[in-house]
Amino acid sequence: MKISVRQICFILLCYNAVSKMLLYPTVLSHYCGRDLLFAALIDFGVQAVVVWAVSFLCSRTDKTFFQLLEGTFGNIFARIIYGLFALFFIAATIVPLCEQKLYVHTIFYDTVPSLLIFLPFFFFSIYAAGKKFTNIGRSADVCMPIFVLSLIFVFSMSVLEIKWSSFMPVLKTPVKDLFGGALGTVFRFVEPCYVLMFMGHFKYKKGDAAKMTISYIGGALTVLLFLFTFYGIYGDIAQSRQFAVSKISLFFPAIDTIGRIDFIALYILEIVMLFALVLNIQLALHCVMKCTGYQNRAVLSLAVNAALIILLLVFDHGFNNLHTFYAKWMWIAFAVFANAIPVLAWTLRRKER
Amino acid sequence: MVTLEKHIKSVKDVLTSEDIIVFEFESSKGKKFAAIYADGLADKQLIGELVAKPLKAAENDANAEDVKKLLASPEVKDCKKAKDAISEISDGNVALFIDGESDFYIIGLKNPPGRTVAEPPTQVTLKGPREGFTEDIKTNLGLVRKRLKSDKLKVKTVKCGERSDTAVALVYLDGVCAKGLPERVEKQIAAHEIDLVPDSSYISQFISGKPRSVFKRNGTSEKPDIFCAKISEGRVGLIVDGSPIALTVPYMLVEDIQAAEDYYALSYRSTITRLLRIFALIIGIFLPAIYVAAQLFKIQIIPFQLLLKVSSSVSGLPVSPSIEMFLTLFVLEVLNEASVRMPKYVGLAMSVVGALVLGDTAVKAGIISTPAIIIIAFSAICLYITPDLVETTTTLRWIYLIVAGSIGPFGIALFTAFLICYLVTEQSYGVPLMAPFAPVIKNDLYDSMVKANLYALKNRPSALRSAQKVRLKTK
Repeated sequence: MKISVRQICFILLCYNAVSKMLLYPTVLSHYCGRDLLFAALIDFGVQAVVVWAVSFLCSRTDKTFFQLLEGTFGNIFARIIYGLFALFFIAATIVPLCEQKLYVHTIFYDTVPSLLIFLPFFFFSIYAAGKKFTNIGRSADVCMPIFVLSLIFVFSMSVLEIKWSSFMPVLKTPVKDLFGGALGTVFRFVEPCYVLMFMGHFKYKKGDAAKMTISYIGGALTVLLFLFTFYGIYGDIAQSRQFAVSKISLFFPAIDTIGRIDFIALYILEIVMLFALVLNIQLALHCVMKCTGYQNRAVLSLAVNAALIILLLVFDHGFNNLHTFYAKWMWIAFAVFANAIPVLAWTLRRKER
Repeated sequence: MVTLEKHIKSVKDVLTSEDIIVFEFESSKGKKFAAIYADGLADKQLIGELVAKPLKAAENDANAEDVKKLLASPEVKDCKKAKDAISEISDGNVALFIDGESDFYIIGLKNPPGRTVAEPPTQVTLKGPREGFTEDIKTNLGLVRKRLKSDKLKVKTVKCGERSDTAVALVYLDGVCAKGLPERVEKQIAAHEIDLVPDSSYISQFISGKPRSVFKRNGTSEKPDIFCAKISEGRVGLIVDGSPIALTVPYMLVEDIQAAEDYYALSYRSTITRLLRIFALIIGIFLPAIYVAAQLFKIQIIPFQLLLKVSSSVSGLPVSPSIEMFLTLFVLEVLNEASVRMPKYVGLAMSVVGALVLGDTAVKAGIISTPAIIIIAFSAICLYITPDLVETTTTLRWIYLIVAGSIGPFGIALFTAFLICYLVTEQSYGVPLMAPFAPVIKNDLYDSMVKANLYALKNRPSALRSAQKVRLKTK
């Protein structure tokens, strides 16, 4: 088997959490203020149910999602769906990619560097995207301890600065704003698709669906704790603090004497962020391969990354507009691909175990 | 009927050099013999004692069978072809020809010049055995046999090198080693034709499968106790004639963090030293790069008080931080290379020159700053904590320095991600290089970053897919 359940659990835990630590807290603070945790709960709750649904589907069949589609609607339809998924994964990469670029420019450099400084990312991306699921799984094995250690380090520097009063009074935000916040950030949730793509590529054992769902919930709890810390420190001005992960340890009392030692932890955490970002590209490549039947990974990786470089150059100065567009309209696409299709996969014809 | 002259001619026609000695003698009954050997390789005294003396004293008109009985050497082999005689003489053995007999004997009296068994310079231990391999394959195999007296210990010798005809012994435990592994290694060696194999590093490249990689694909050891421990875990060992460095496959990166002493000391202490090694390794590779990246791109990383010291040290330097670090590292590498090559008494003088003239004077002259020297020196010390990885880690330190000087901290993170991505898919004979961390193998984690006590290591490493899993049973 190409990937193990443990590795999928790690992906659902650490990649899920790490991809929501940059602008997600800021945007959620903007929409929901002190009640941001409730908006996040709505999103995570829905996604957890979908993750459970797909994980549980894995217990019913040995086949991959492509094989299920092929068995029900035929090869052409399966290819079309995978083609659409490829586009979806590319679409799901653009905002995190632009976000990552801005994060790198802000956190890694004292002066704002040129876009060129971020472009070496694509060397890594081209190399990593061409790798198989085994590589994705093993990378997650390495990323998990890195994620845990660096996050503990950052949290330990910030936890004493949390002010409970920042969250008072609770649930005063209009319900409309809460759901608006949940809907406006839904394009950051693609985890059910990961399980859908890994389906049939791992050996399912009894209880694995629960393990995967619990891992996802673990990731969700980490994000909630992170949101709690972030808003607890900054309160109402949280919506103007970008790249939350770099801001939460700013008030650590010893920082004047020991320097911004938290940056070292952030640089280490960046490794996990890079793998989380590349996962979408790897899955996009997987879908392109299935759709076209073309097996040369190197060529496809070059093509997919070339498309992403062009998109990055296009949206380099229009990130705000892009983000607004995604928040306003892209929830539909994400609801369909990340939620509806994974649930509808239950209706596909399958041979029971 | 073949005359003695014809025998001698058949050998001398091929081995024409002067160091091939033909020692002719007769028995008391007038039977003629000729012992042919390579001067300096065969033991002359033993030829006299075990071959010439009994044959000269022979009173009957000895035929080939009688001669064999008369020979006092325990290692006598029948031979028919002149080609075999030439090969054995070149190897250091003695070919004994008898007048009138077509068959001849090869007598194992090889005694090539070599050093005695001593403590290996690269793997010194405070506790545990101190014996080390030598350049002689027979001595080395003896050192292995001394520790593994099992009838399951198999030794298969293959030859490599068209001109050197170097013996490579594949050593493994039958029934413990994964099925088909020795054959795979043998096939890999046989697939290469080369004129000369002077050292095991040649074989190391032949069996690696990826000779261009910065990361090696086989373990190395100069100590028979480590070698035997690895074999008993299910690996295949390779001892190359002429080399004191034995090889083992499959290989995992974690092996080089484990030291022999870890297994002879208290497990808690071993865990601490292993963690220390890992931290030292990380610091050794990354410290110069982070220092350069911090100075060039993100000064906030450096604590304020330290920053004041650094800025006072670097002010007025004629070169940029990255060039300065490059120069310092270059000087270190030159000093390192020279100190290894030079005779010891010159090396001492050079240390003084290196430390005082280059280090102190360069700082005083304002060419290099003190922090740069401290960082490079500390980095070097850290990397030499894991000597088996030094080739890889010093190369990585250069790469990281280039990346940090050009792209900054993001480059460091990016290159690390690239390395992880590369390493997690790399294998050595089907065993992941990053095992037991990627993929996580729970059983093997007890002997990785941590060193658990012996009772926690009841099973052989699962990553090696040993045919016999359990190694410790308690009654």
